[in-house]
Amino acid sequence: MTEVTFPSMSTGGCGTGVVATWFVTEGEAVHTDQLIAEVAMDKVDAEVLAPADGTISLEVAEGGEAAEGSVIALIQ
Amino acid sequence: MTTASHETAQRTTEPTRAPLPVEPDPGTRRLSTAKAMVEAIAQQMRSNEEVFVLGEDVGAYGGIFSSTTGLLDEFGPDRVRDTPISETAFIGLATGAAVEGMRPIVELMFVDFFGVCMDQIYNHMAKIHFESGGNVTVPMVLTTATGGGYSDGAQHSQCLWGTFAHLPGMKVVVPATPYDAKGLMTAAVRCDDPVVYMFHKGVMGLPWMAKNPRSVGPVPEEEYEVPIGKAKVVREGTDLTIVTVSLSLHHSLDVAEKLAGEGIDAEVIDLRTIVPLDREAIAASVSKTKRLLVVDEDYQSFGLSGEVIASVVEREPTALTAVERVCTPDVPIPYAHDLEYAVLPTRDRIEAAVRRLAGAK
Amino acid sequence: MVGGIQVTPQQTNQQMPQQATPDTAQDQARDVAQQPAGSQLLETGRRELLRTMILIRTFEEAILRDYHADKSPAFDIGAGLIPGEMHLSAGQEPVAAGVCAHLTSDDAVTATHRPHHLAIAHGMDLRRLAAEIFGRETGLGHGRGGHMHLFDPDTHFSCSGIIAEGYPPALGQAFAFRTRGSDAVAVAVTGEGAANQGGFHESLNLAALWHLPVVFVVEDNDWGISVPRSASTSVASNAARGAGYGIPAVRVEDNAVEDIHRAAGEAVARARAGGGPSLIEVHTLRLWGHFEGDAQAYRSDLEGVPGHDPIPTYESHLVDQGVLGESDLEVMHASAHERVEDAIGFARSSPTPDPADALKYVFSEGERR
Repeated sequence: MTEVTFPSMSTGGCGTGVVATWFVTEGEAVHTDQLIAEVAMDKVDAEVLAPADGTISLEVAEGGEAAEGSVIALIQ
Repeated sequence: MTTASHETAQRTTEPTRAPLPVEPDPGTRRLSTAKAMVEAIAQQMRSNEEVFVLGEDVGAYGGIFSSTTGLLDEFGPDRVRDTPISETAFIGLATGAAVEGMRPIVELMFVDFFGVCMDQIYNHMAKIHFESGGNVTVPMVLTTATGGGYSDGAQHSQCLWGTFAHLPGMKVVVPATPYDAKGLMTAAVRCDDPVVYMFHKGVMGLPWMAKNPRSVGPVPEEEYEVPIGKAKVVREGTDLTIVTVSLSLHHSLDVAEKLAGEGIDAEVIDLRTIVPLDREAIAASVSKTKRLLVVDEDYQSFGLSGEVIASVVEREPTALTAVERVCTPDVPIPYAHDLEYAVLPTRDRIEAAVRRLAGAK
Repeated sequence: MVGGIQVTPQQTNQQMPQQATPDTAQDQARDVAQQPAGSQLLETGRRELLRTMILIRTFEEAILRDYHADKSPAFDIGAGLIPGEMHLSAGQEPVAAGVCAHLTSDDAVTATHRPHHLAIAHGMDLRRLAAEIFGRETGLGHGRGGHMHLFDPDTHFSCSGIIAEGYPPALGQAFAFRTRGSDAVAVAVTGEGAANQGGFHESLNLAALWHLPVVFVVEDNDWGISVPRSASTSVASNAARGAGYGIPAVRVEDNAVEDIHRAAGEAVARARAGGGPSLIEVHTLRLWGHFEGDAQAYRSDLEGVPGHDPIPTYESHLVDQGVLGESDLEVMHASAHERVEDAIGFARSSPTPDPADALKYVFSEGERR
């Protein structure tokens, strides 16, 4: 099981952002480095790439908030 | 002087390449429209060193609507160039470089800014090929952001494809989906004619603007083209034809899916290209359904919607029994949210028109 | 390319083979182009400048003749073998001769609604130029462009009827040359009226900012149609505006071809060497009206104009200096006359375009991949 976390986007590392876009759906097969999400915090956007191969489950709804470092998806 | 010597003198440096696949299977990998557009540009820049990008904030910023994100990092500042606020100069520069056989992609940040540079666009970019009797080509892409819905006001919310379409010599494409955004950009870069590539901000899938779910969709990873000049029947139907383009495609599909549950079966055509207009596809559909709704976010009068209707009447004079159009009326787009949404072609307005047409005998 | 033979500025004093096409002005000017900035023009170079100016004037006089011949008794602008507006360059020959002497057919020139002198000096085929002016199928643009819209890929020549809008595409041509590692330059020519148009200023700024190999030329002929420079321009000389953009700029007075030649030589050399753009304003002379049919009732300096004709002035100058004699002049004029009448004859005997083809050339066919 691999955790996909909200990337570090601030100097303090404890901000809160939004999962703006999911590019994959619940249960989809993903591969390493595949674009899976775009997140936003303080008007800066960042892409999230899959850290591993496997089946993804989404832990945050599109448009939902998430803290830096928190788990936004799991890959099995 | 022979044609051959002209071609040599004008000098295109691309090797002859095999044609690309046309409209292949979309696959499962999903991108936003913005990222699909960028992927097309990046692939063409990799395969042809004479493709380059210029415009305001296209470099480090990546385009204010994410139309060039990542290109500077991969290709460097000689091929991805930030310009001063000098649209006449840099769009003219792109024209001159294209005359010499390079393939520039130049961005006009908002289509609403065309007023400061339209001469280089419609009197030069669009006319040089004709005035030269075909001896000079201008293989450039003019990209530009269009559309409203986020309270940017009258000078930053227009569509204006009707204005560009009206003037001869430039092709005009308006992709609505990620798949078409990549395919049409690829086709536009490889086309030897000037192409105005107009992307609605609301279909780009930006993190900071409300988006329709169809702003993210499957996009093949390989290079491919969507043909310029071909409309697409996105939803087949029998009761009426909706002809539309850009963000209005998504709203039209939403309405069609909702009303299917009530037994109203709408055929939805995405034009994808305004010039050349796929008049045959439109006429073929209306000859089947007899009823036509045009949904166009551009201004209502003297533009695309009238052209679509006239085109049908010319080709199928007896087929059309009922027609409506849902457009932005002839008013500057208001700032206040409720006023803006009173004039935009919203789902409510589309639904009401579909119901009227479906009820018409 | 000229007649299929690549010529670069590095070739010195080579005898060029006679071309099948009669445009040898470019080739014979090679030795002129070799002169380092500031050095004396060779006699051959001076004769070549005059030869070019005489050829231009002879051509313009022939067009003048044929333009008016069938528009009488009342002047009907749309009638006759050469319909439409006609903007002739008599009096401005020194600019074309002096500047284009430093160019090869690999260099670009963008010109204005008054383009013939530059087209001829830059080596455009006279027959195809004439045929385009006469609107014939054999013209440069198959009759689609006409006299203000001449496009010659072989010499990278183009012109536009929109004031100042020839400057921006010249930037693009210069950009392409430099990107490809060539030392070719782009020469962009406008009138003094254009120096008050936005595109002029944007172009100067961007060329300087991007250090492009462009030579900006302003032909100050005193008149923007009927409006004198004093009523249009906030400064006495557009050379002063160069400083506003960080561009070296000079103003050449007196329409003197050798002074123009010297200034252009420095500017072209600067651009070729990677030194960026320059601006040259030439105080030149519009001998005739803004357009043919312009009665020039507004023109206060009209009486003195013929006396300032630059061609008789330069002829006398060269004869006085022993560079050539009267018989040489006769030969030059006769040769120009022969070449021009050949071109005009070619045009007049060429077919007019077929109206059935009126919709052709909007888009390219057979797209290359």
